[in-house]
Amino acid sequence: MIKNLLDKTYRWAQKNSLWVIHFNTGGCNGCDIEILDLLTPRYDIERLGIIAEASPRHADVLLCTGPVTQQTSAGLWQIYSQMPSPKWVVAVGSCSNTGGVFYGSDTVLGGVDKILPVDLYLPGCPCRPEAIIEGLLQLRERISKDG
Amino acid sequence: MFEALFYLLIFPGGFFLVLVGLGFEWLDRKLLALFQRRVGPPWYQPLADLIKLFSKEDLLPKGGNELVATLLPLLSLCAVLVAGLYVPIAGFTPYSFEGDLIVILFLMSVPTLAYYLAGIISIGIYSILGGGRSLLQYFSYEVPFLIALSGPAVLARSWSIEGILTAQFTLGSFVLFQPLGFILALVGLIGKLKRDPLDIPSAKSEVVGGSLTEFSGGKLGFWHLAMNIQAVVGIFLIINLFLGWTKLANPFVAILVFFLEFLVIVGMLSSASAIFARLRIDQLAGLGWRILVPLSLAQILFVILMGV
Repeated sequence: MIKNLLDKTYRWAQKNSLWVIHFNTGGCNGCDIEILDLLTPRYDIERLGIIAEASPRHADVLLCTGPVTQQTSAGLWQIYSQMPSPKWVVAVGSCSNTGGVFYGSDTVLGGVDKILPVDLYLPGCPCRPEAIIEGLLQLRERISKDG
Repeated sequence: MFEALFYLLIFPGGFFLVLVGLGFEWLDRKLLALFQRRVGPPWYQPLADLIKLFSKEDLLPKGGNELVATLLPLLSLCAVLVAGLYVPIAGFTPYSFEGDLIVILFLMSVPTLAYYLAGIISIGIYSILGGGRSLLQYFSYEVPFLIALSGPAVLARSWSIEGILTAQFTLGSFVLFQPLGFILALVGLIGKLKRDPLDIPSAKSEVVGGSLTEFSGGKLGFWHLAMNIQAVVGIFLIINLFLGWTKLANPFVAILVFFLEFLVIVGMLSSASAIFARLRIDQLAGLGWRILVPLSLAQILFVILMGV
């Protein structure tokens, strides 16, 4: 009973306070600018309790942009393993989902799901800020449902 | 016995300070958002952040000392909670004695030293950089801050905050006699709390997270709580020393006045972080020793001459 209540409280808190770290695995910077848009007064992501954090140890959500190249794959894994659980991975943009236009290249491994377990795919080239907010709202719902 | 426990856990200390600390964080973030024409976080945001941090995994890099890393945030939390016990709230102070101002000033600088140590013991290049910066910043703002806060004590001829409050009731608010000291105290408080524009030790774009880069989970939650309570205690201290007029016969009027003065100071801190850009560490050291220290010395000279 008490454990259930505690679990519910934790889920409520995790849902309402998603701290985000952003990592570019070798993209063209388009999706990164769209992510920066989220912090501006027009979209104001802080009203949903989402803050951009700089240290992976403070973060809950890893926002990846760009295709995973051979050079960044080790760094991506390192950043993911530095994050304290529970943690979620969101792949923003077509390159991050599948490799995009770089699919099949010698130096590109493909999407983020080649390295990490991805919780949410957000397609688009670049992914629009509205779509990112919509995706993060879906992630919140999923957290409140099954942790 | 029960009275002492009540003082310690519920009203001037413990629960009340945690509540006001969380409320302060929300008010500050909301005001900053309104200044920037944003909507800002909902009222439960600081509480959700805190609970979430306690629900998360607690990691420390290999080579970091687990025991010291756990003790440092608890130490700074305890120091600011004890300091909060001695600061009069709306004129109410259970444990007032001659010299409690000095005790509070000492306890308020414990979190800064703990922050420095946290940077050194958690192995990581950014945390060591942040720790070193925090110590350098401490030497820049602390001297003018202490001189500015001793102005009211010299004017009231008493080193207890209750004595200063009583003196302000007869003389008038001390901000009228030493506006310069009031501004210096606010600048020092901003430096102490590592807020914008003096967030040099924890600047995200320069040193990632400062000393707290490698902290996560419950330890980070304790750090956030300690910093919020430190902010509240510092604001209470400045209200009591410079604005005064909170020790009135009618408790409701006293609480109202105290709350309004609290809002004024929070508004000044938030607008300072909305207006000014971050200083470099050499700019802060120059500002501290070339401008703030001579100004504070001039202020205290004026106060001494006034008292003669």
